[in-house]
Amino acid sequence: MPDPAIRTEALSKTYRSGIINRESVHALREVSLTVQRGEIFGLLGPNGAGKTTLLKILLGIAWPTSGRARLFGHATHAPVARQQVGYLPEKHRFPDFLTTDQMLHLYGRLSGVPSDEREARIPELLDQVDMSEWRGTKLKKFSKGMMQRVGLAQALLNDPDLVFLDEPTDGVDPVGRREIRDILLWLHNQGKTIFLNSHLLSEVEKVCTRVAILNQGALVRLGTIDELTAMERLYDLQTTRIPDGVLSALDDVLRPADAFETSQDAIFRYRLQVENRADLNAVLDRLRSAEVELEAVEPVRRSLEDYFIDVVSPQNSAPEATSA
Amino acid sequence: MTALSGIVLLSVRELWAKKIVIGLFVVSTLVLLMTAFALNLDVVEGSLAGVRVFGENLGDAQDGDGEGITLQNVVFSVQAVVAGATYWIGILLALFSTAPLFTSLLETGHIDLLLSKPLSRTQLFIGHISGVWLTMLILSTYLLGGVWLIMSIKTGVWNPSFLLSIGIVLAMFGVMYSVIVFTGVWTQSTALALIVTYGLIFISLVLAGGEQLANQLQPGWRAVFWGFYHVLPNFAEVTQTVSNLSRAEPIASWYPFASASLFGAVLYGSAGFWFTRRDF
Repeated sequence: MPDPAIRTEALSKTYRSGIINRESVHALREVSLTVQRGEIFGLLGPNGAGKTTLLKILLGIAWPTSGRARLFGHATHAPVARQQVGYLPEKHRFPDFLTTDQMLHLYGRLSGVPSDEREARIPELLDQVDMSEWRGTKLKKFSKGMMQRVGLAQALLNDPDLVFLDEPTDGVDPVGRREIRDILLWLHNQGKTIFLNSHLLSEVEKVCTRVAILNQGALVRLGTIDELTAMERLYDLQTTRIPDGVLSALDDVLRPADAFETSQDAIFRYRLQVENRADLNAVLDRLRSAEVELEAVEPVRRSLEDYFIDVVSPQNSAPEATSA
Repeated sequence: MTALSGIVLLSVRELWAKKIVIGLFVVSTLVLLMTAFALNLDVVEGSLAGVRVFGENLGDAQDGDGEGITLQNVVFSVQAVVAGATYWIGILLALFSTAPLFTSLLETGHIDLLLSKPLSRTQLFIGHISGVWLTMLILSTYLLGGVWLIMSIKTGVWNPSFLLSIGIVLAMFGVMYSVIVFTGVWTQSTALALIVTYGLIFISLVLAGGEQLANQLQPGWRAVFWGFYHVLPNFAEVTQTVSNLSRAEPIASWYPFASASLFGAVLYGSAGFWFTRRDF
C-alpha cells in the first residue's frame, strides 16, 4: 500500500520568545492526521489556531518541536519530500520585475522542471487560469486576483501530486473563484491530492472531501463534510398529512417543520428528533400504521459555517477527534 | 543542479533589476570610455612623450635620468586609482545595493515559497550568495578587466598582477557581505545590517593605524586593541594590498587579507548554520 500523501504523528510546535522572561506559545498540540492520496482536504480554524504553523511544518518551512510529519513517506525537511509538491502561499511575494513567463520559468527551474517541459506546460497552465494574454506582462501590473491566478499556475508547474493552497481565492472575483474551484475539481479528478487552507467555508464545503478543524493548536474535529454537518439524529420528514391524533401522541419527538408546506400537493414537512435508529424505525412504523405515506426521510444538516462556529466557540472547543 | 542554478539566477536577476546596480554598470562604462578616449598617451618608440587628459597636457615625459613620468608609472598610477576607487567606492555602493536582497529573501511569502521547492536550505543559502558574488564578479571584471585591457593595448605595458586585484576586491566584498548576511539572518533588518557593516569598515580605518595607536594605550587596552585587530576584518589595511598589486609591487604582508577572509568564512558558516536551523 503506498504511503499516504500526508501523515503527522503527535506533531507539536512551541514558539518561544524573550531571553530573560521566556514566553511560550503552543501553536500546535500533538496533531495527528493522515491525508490519503487523491483527497481534497480542507484545514479550518480561527485566526491563531495553528493552521499556518501546520502548513509550514509540512512544507519544511518551520521545524516541529516534537512529533513527526511526512509527505509521501519522506520526512518533510528532506528536499525529496517536496519533489511532487506545489504550493501557493497566502501572502506570496513573487519578483514583480519579472514577466509572467519569466516568473514561471524561474520557479519551474527551482522545482527542477526541465526547460522543454516548462515550454510546453506554461502556455497550457496560463490558458487554464485564463492568463494567456498576460504572458509577457510584468507582475507589478497585476491585481491581487491576477496574481492569485499566476500563483496557482506556478504551484501546478511541476505537475505535483500534492498541492498546498493557502487562501487560493483570496482577492479573486466570484467568476475567478468559480474557475479556481473548477481547477481544483479537475485536479481531484486527475487523482491529485489537495490540501486547502481557506477561510471561505462555503468554498471548502463545495470541494473538500474531508475537513479538519484546528482550534488553539489542537485538532478538534476531523471528518467528511457529511459527517460533520449532519445533526445528531435529527431528520426532515416529508409525508402526507399526519393525523392530529398521531401527531399529538408523538409530540415529544415529532412536530411540524417551520416550512410546513412543500411545493408538492398533499406533502408536508415534519421535524423528527429521536434517540437512536430503533426509535426512528418505531416512529416510521407508527406513521405507516396510521396510513401516512412517506415521501422522504433526510438527516438535517447544518452549513459548515454553522458547524464551524459551533465547534470553535469557547464552550465547545474540547478535542473530540485527534487522530485519523 | 537545475534548482540550484535557479536560485543563482534569481539573485542575479533581482540585483540587475535594481537601479543602483545599473548605475554601477553605467559608471563603469563611463570610466572605460574615459580611459579609452579621454586619456591620451603619446608614445614614441616605446617611451612616453606626453600625457593628455581631455586634450590638456598633464606632464612632461621622462628626462634623461629616468626621473619624472614614465609610461609604466602612468599605467600603474591609472590602474591603482581605478582599483582603489573600486575597492572603496565600488564596495561601499555594492554593499548598499545588495544588503536589501538578503533580508528580502527572508520575507514571508518569498522564503516560504522557495523553501517549498525541492532544494535544501544549504543550497538556497549558497545559491543566493553565489548569485550576489557572480554579479559583483561581472561588475568588477567589467571595470577593472576593461581598464587593464584598454591600458595594456594602448601602451603595450602589460601588468598581470593588476588582475589579481579583481580577486581581492571581490573577496573583500564577500567578507563584508558576510556581515550583512550574518546580521540579516538574525535580525532581518537591512538598516541594522548596513550599520554594522559600515561600522566595521570605519573601525578598520582605526585598526589600520595600529602600531602608532596601540603604543599610546595602556597594556590592558592595548591587548583589547590587538584582539580587535586580529578578529575583525582589516578592510582598510587591504587597500595597500590592492595598491601594491596595481603597481606590480611585492605584497609586504598577506595577513590582513587572510585574517579578513577567515572572519568572512566564520560569519558565512555561522549565518548558514542558523539559516538551516531557524523557522521562517
